[in-house]
Amino acid sequence: MPSLAIMVTTPPFSNLTVTAIDYIKAAIAADIEIIGVFFYQDGVMNANNLISIVSDEYQAIEQWQKLHAEHNINLHLCYTAAEKRGMSDEIETMSIDESFILSGLGELVELSSQADRVVQL
Amino acid sequence: MNSIEQGNNSNSSENRSSKLIAVINSRAPYSSTSGKDALDVALIFGSYEQEVSLFFHGDGVFQLIEKQNSMLIQLKDYLKTFSAFEFYDIEKIYVCQKSLQNRCLTDKNFHIDNAVVLNTKAFNEKLHQHNIFFRF
Repeated sequence: MPSLAIMVTTPPFSNLTVTAIDYIKAAIAADIEIIGVFFYQDGVMNANNLISIVSDEYQAIEQWQKLHAEHNINLHLCYTAAEKRGMSDEIETMSIDESFILSGLGELVELSSQADRVVQL
Repeated sequence: MNSIEQGNNSNSSENRSSKLIAVINSRAPYSSTSGKDALDVALIFGSYEQEVSLFFHGDGVFQLIEKQNSMLIQLKDYLKTFSAFEFYDIEKIYVCQKSLQNRCLTDKNFHIDNAVVLNTKAFNEKLHQHNIFFRF
């Protein structure tokens, strides 16, 4: 089974994030193993559960939650990029959705060394 | 280096792999954080002893020009970290000649001395030798 790692650098309100999610769904449908998604730069905002996008627009976070719950896909955040954008996993200020894991750039190295292919979106 | 076969021999969870990583810089240094974000990615791969090369094209070539004073706009001078590349074993730095020419720049004004300027064909060929690309 070929394996794929994804890096997402766009925020949840970007249509490029929709492309990333569609790409991942297509890969799953094609029996490609997604070993992890790494969120970097504005991509970390996808995990921010305080971001509210009007209900008739695309709800990226719901899609990520679904991908995590139904396909057990690991969603890694760059810790530094998340903190820079006011996101924290401390209880009082919790703004990181529980589908996501706080990681560091080292995780990107790990994913890159394990995956057959890495795609940045 | 055959990109089709990439990863076939790297199924272990070890950090070592034979993949060549290309970090491509295409943005000017201080209008966004892209240059700094690219630098952080390059350094982390370097510190995990992965083979990483840096490519500069488009406005990215401005990151190589000396005597920039980012403090004038209250930004940290991340470009000075470029001089630490050798400590991270980052020795392969390639610059697009055409991008320099289009901006009336030359390698005489670079603040690092190990960047190699390549014509479009050689730049493309060099890129194709890599397996994983991160573009900023």
